[in-house]
Amino acid sequence: MTQGGRPLTRRDLLTQGGLIIVVSPRKHAPADALPEEGLDIHLCLTADERVIAFCGHVDLGTGVRTALAQIVAEELDFPFAAVEMVLGDTEQTPDQGPTIASETIQVTAIPLRIAATQIRRELVALAAAALDCPDEEIDILGGVVSRRDKAGLPLCLKTLLGNQRLLLPLAEKADFKPVERHGIVGRPIERVDIPAKITGQLTYVHDVRVPNMLHGRVVRPPYAGLDSGDFVGHCLLTVERDSIAHIPGIRAVVVEGDFVGVVAEREEQAARAAEALVTHWKDFPAPADLRDVENALRKHPATARRLVDEGDVDAALAKLETRLDRTYVWPYHMHGSIGPSCAVADVRQDGITVWTGSQNPYPLRADLALLTGVPAERIAVIRHEAAGCYGRNCADDVAADAVLLSRAVGAPVRVQLTREQEHLWEPKGAGQLMDIAGGLGPGGSLAAYDFHTRYPSNAAPTLALLLTGRIPNQPATLKMGDRTALPPYAYENMRVTAYDMAPIVRASWLRGVSALPNVFAHESYIDELAHEAGVDPVAFRLRHMTDERAAELTRATAKRAGWQPHVGPRMDSDGDILRGRGFAQARYVHGNWPGVGAAWAAWVADVAVNRTTGEVTVSRVTVGQDTGMMINPAGVQHQIHGNVVQSTSRVLREEVTFSDTTAVAAREWGAYPVLTFPQLPAIDVMLMERQHEPPLGAGESASVPSAAAIANAVFDATGVRFRELPLTPERVLAGLNGRPVLPKPPQAKRKRGLGFWSKLGGAAAAAVTLAAVSFPLAPKIAPIARPDPSTWSAATIERGRQLAALGACAVCHTGKDGVLYAGGLALETPFGTVMTTNITPDAGTGIGNWSYAAFERAMRAGIHREGSQLYPVFPYTHFAKTTEADMQALYAFLMSQPAVSRQNEPSQLTFPFNLRPLMALWNLLYNRDTEAKPEPARSADWNRGRYLVDGLGHCSACHSPRNALGAVKAGPAYLTGGVAEGWEAPALTAASRAPIPWGEADFYAYLRTGHSARHGTASGPMAPVVEEFKQLPDADIRAMSVYLASLTTPLPEAEAAARSDAILKATASAANPGLSPAARLYGGACAACHETGRVVPLANQGPALGLSAKVHAETPTNLVNMLMQGGGHGSGQMPAFRNALDDRQIADLAAYVRGRFAPGQPAWNGVARIVENARAAIR
Amino acid sequence: MTRPARSFALRVNGVEHRVEGEPDTPLLFFLRNDLALNSPKFGCGLGECGACTVLLDGATARACAYPVRLAEGRDIVTLEGLGTTEAPHPIQQAFIDAQAAQCGYCINGMIMTAKAFLDVKPQPSEIEVREALRYNLCRCGTHVEIVQAVMLAAARGRRREGS
Repeated sequence: MTQGGRPLTRRDLLTQGGLIIVVSPRKHAPADALPEEGLDIHLCLTADERVIAFCGHVDLGTGVRTALAQIVAEELDFPFAAVEMVLGDTEQTPDQGPTIASETIQVTAIPLRIAATQIRRELVALAAAALDCPDEEIDILGGVVSRRDKAGLPLCLKTLLGNQRLLLPLAEKADFKPVERHGIVGRPIERVDIPAKITGQLTYVHDVRVPNMLHGRVVRPPYAGLDSGDFVGHCLLTVERDSIAHIPGIRAVVVEGDFVGVVAEREEQAARAAEALVTHWKDFPAPADLRDVENALRKHPATARRLVDEGDVDAALAKLETRLDRTYVWPYHMHGSIGPSCAVADVRQDGITVWTGSQNPYPLRADLALLTGVPAERIAVIRHEAAGCYGRNCADDVAADAVLLSRAVGAPVRVQLTREQEHLWEPKGAGQLMDIAGGLGPGGSLAAYDFHTRYPSNAAPTLALLLTGRIPNQPATLKMGDRTALPPYAYENMRVTAYDMAPIVRASWLRGVSALPNVFAHESYIDELAHEAGVDPVAFRLRHMTDERAAELTRATAKRAGWQPHVGPRMDSDGDILRGRGFAQARYVHGNWPGVGAAWAAWVADVAVNRTTGEVTVSRVTVGQDTGMMINPAGVQHQIHGNVVQSTSRVLREEVTFSDTTAVAAREWGAYPVLTFPQLPAIDVMLMERQHEPPLGAGESASVPSAAAIANAVFDATGVRFRELPLTPERVLAGLNGRPVLPKPPQAKRKRGLGFWSKLGGAAAAAVTLAAVSFPLAPKIAPIARPDPSTWSAATIERGRQLAALGACAVCHTGKDGVLYAGGLALETPFGTVMTTNITPDAGTGIGNWSYAAFERAMRAGIHREGSQLYPVFPYTHFAKTTEADMQALYAFLMSQPAVSRQNEPSQLTFPFNLRPLMALWNLLYNRDTEAKPEPARSADWNRGRYLVDGLGHCSACHSPRNALGAVKAGPAYLTGGVAEGWEAPALTAASRAPIPWGEADFYAYLRTGHSARHGTASGPMAPVVEEFKQLPDADIRAMSVYLASLTTPLPEAEAAARSDAILKATASAANPGLSPAARLYGGACAACHETGRVVPLANQGPALGLSAKVHAETPTNLVNMLMQGGGHGSGQMPAFRNALDDRQIADLAAYVRGRFAPGQPAWNGVARIVENARAAIR
Repeated sequence: MTRPARSFALRVNGVEHRVEGEPDTPLLFFLRNDLALNSPKFGCGLGECGACTVLLDGATARACAYPVRLAEGRDIVTLEGLGTTEAPHPIQQAFIDAQAAQCGYCINGMIMTAKAFLDVKPQPSEIEVREALRYNLCRCGTHVEIVQAVMLAAARGRRREGS
């Protein structure tokens, strides 16, 4: 809303002239306030023909902005394009409560509609006065005011309004335009928000930038998804602020109660800091085991609330001809916003401004006042569009987080939650448990229905209030399990009881709140009764339906779908595929009991069930809806499509998984898979023509019959009833095989034993502190003044630079702060931790005072300038093979680098390795290497390659096994595989387990680019080595490849290509559907980058796992490390999944990947322990 | 080892920019925070959902999981580089005409993926369109309209080719 480039605000409108405005008193404003402080605007018409409408609700991506503008334009008789909508903003719009229950059109639009009639009437009166004629002779058409008989010119609004400011108090009611005269309402209109969204021009809250804005991230407590209990807000022990000292740009670490956050200058700095910050927390008690939702809900304390008690249910139950007692279980679901929540806050002396995606601007403002003590009227909440939320996501939480961080640094702060935080902490759509006792009386009558529904939820208070202890951490109970609890059939004796209970995990409303589960029970049950009665399910419903609009919709939808009346499951089969069709209908009733009815909806679902795999496909949905008056039928249809897709996803795929501490386990889209394009059903929407009826909420109704319709269709296809969701392949297969329940996941151990190495380390721990002792064994070589780099030619230094790259000196001699060659990297060895040293030419702390003789002795014999022995983790045994000329060049290069003053840190070795003199003995045993003699029978490339591989390249330091004393094994063990920093360094010889043996071209590609298409990518400690190799000339890379290929037995190219194709075909996704949770985990987390055979080119394409050396290795170590740490390589970079997947998920994923992509290899043993060790190593 | 920050030259939508940062930092942070290009969205940071998709020499790239060091010297195109509200790209126009957005957060990825897809497969079947978009997630359930939009763009492309 701008005028001459200046935003036109509520205050502007209330202080300037040339307007008609409909106003009402602003909530909480003092009676004597000035108009601009004390009045809300509903609608304003300006003399320059702008129509500005204010609504306190927000557009959650449903198109309500467009529909509201249609309503205003219609009543005002102005063009649709003239209407500007201002939504959900505490400074601008009225307080109309939270945007929930699809009631914006049904409820919140009414003041706007009334206001439009008032302005129209006022305009008519002004025109009549101006023309001195009766009101009836004035007409308004498309915003043009004129005499009905068209005598004279249209009236100009500027003339009519002049500089007057006409304030009209909002009327309580009005006569609306008859439907017959509607020209805008009821017509499909393109949504006003879509062009900007399609071109990237809409400013989502994620895109808000204000001057001097900093970036924040939060660190959430370990009790992920739990928001009630004594421990909430009281678990934090300590925060090691120094743990992020090495990260640049940090402005603050903010700690209050269990709230922890960081602020940095750049977003990636904040992200890194939040991940690196070390925090310590108390244990917390697990409140329930939600891996068994039915049992957890049955045991959870509840208050029974009798909603309906008609007839004598107990007596009727006793006399039934057919009794059916049934239980239906609904899992926890996620809202699953595609964008994790984000907000910007600016806390100043004079007040607070918050930019948010909240659907509840006014309630959020009250929360922020409570959090900060700043009066609500000094807090401005500005709403921007955000990722769709379908109920409640973390939008309010992150706004409060941003306020706490901004207050701490005195500058605006943008906080972006991570995907993991959004998944873990969003208030879940609650699980629900429905028990029905009932059955048929004489003649198939509906004799008794005793319905019990259990729903654990509250309103999910804003997290920062709980974490900081501003509000009590005790659970509240919301009476929200009663939505649509009344069945839509005339049961003769009926009892309906809701069990109100506090949340178990953080939960609140999600699309079709409690109604979708209740209708799953009602509509599955009536289907069962129809079957028992031997009547077609649609005919049976119609026989017992009392609501005529529901009956009309049922008949129309069944007709549209071509429903064939039938009794019993038809089990149409076509090979492995069974086909079926199911019906369900409901009117979504929401709000406090007995509630308000929104639109009616009915489904006919067509499914295909694979009887071998258990896969259920919803192939087609015919959905009818009676919305009453539709404002924008195109918008209603769009919204129905969305409801059908989303609810089909919920029914087939979705279920929140929990760990043994009740903390939510699903942190990304692999563990919480949603429907994707290939699974999209065909959707046929039928809209009932009801323009003469009042408009009803259309936002959620079409999802409500989904679950029962699909389950009923699966019954028709298979003859098996499923009363628990989701309908995953494993659940369906178990049902088809007559197994009633799925095996429960194994109970994970809470505390685990220490790994082998840490036990060994513990045994020698007492000796560790001696590690720094060093005895001179060889003569000291006198210090010199740092040589002048101009001593050496540029060519020599350049050659030294390449040799340093070949030796990857920087990889070990650079600490985590990234200062090249200054040392400080901790190298974990089986014998303790060796700290690498400063090799910059600093005289005090580096090697600036080392003569060439001292340098050469260290390189060849492992002896320090002072005469003490160096540990052989420094690979001097290899460097000894270096030629004199190369050694000189390397010295020249290092001495030409910038000197960095940094003290070396002591190593921490276990006994007896901490005794350096003993290392001299070790040297006598194992350091026999000298310059290797060329083999004249071999090519020059081969000889050069061997020199590079065995000398400065020191490949066997990692790729050969070592003996018990840590010496590299030679002879037949040469390059047959070793270990490096917790990674396996695979065999480079014929002992390689790669499915396609390495050839010269493969080695070349790998060493040059970090990637071999037939083997995978350099990762872990190898990645930085390849990065260093970038400085080597192609000829050296070629030489190493020639030499290494001589150690293997490569396949002829044609054979290698054929084998590769065969593997890719056998392991492709088409042959491996997502039949297990691990397969779906792979599908959501890995497949986007690793699946082969894609049509759309992808720069992030990861290695083909069927060819991957990691997947074919003897142990899962490297695969697990890769999943945990991710890593960079030449052609791409895999993200780390350590925060996104827990140990069990990583172990399951590794096992799945092994089974699918290396089917010829045995399953790995001890995966869980390797995962545990890998996680311990990164801590 | 964290590699030290340095300067990177990025060519985005035909314009050269210099940004400072660590080599492994995802490209997305620079596009959004340094160049104020809002269309690529942060969705997961794991390369799973596709909301951050940009084009890199014509291929799709998940910018949330793509290091800036590898983007140097390549042609980067964001949704802003395809067209504007006043002069949308034909694929954008098809998305507008099919009303293919609800909240719109995922739509950047859908359009950029559709662009790379139609460049290599200008006349796809509906099944091929669905397969091409398999790894782009939408939570509002706009799938029907998105598939219609891509089919519409392909059909119009065919007509332009024919004329």
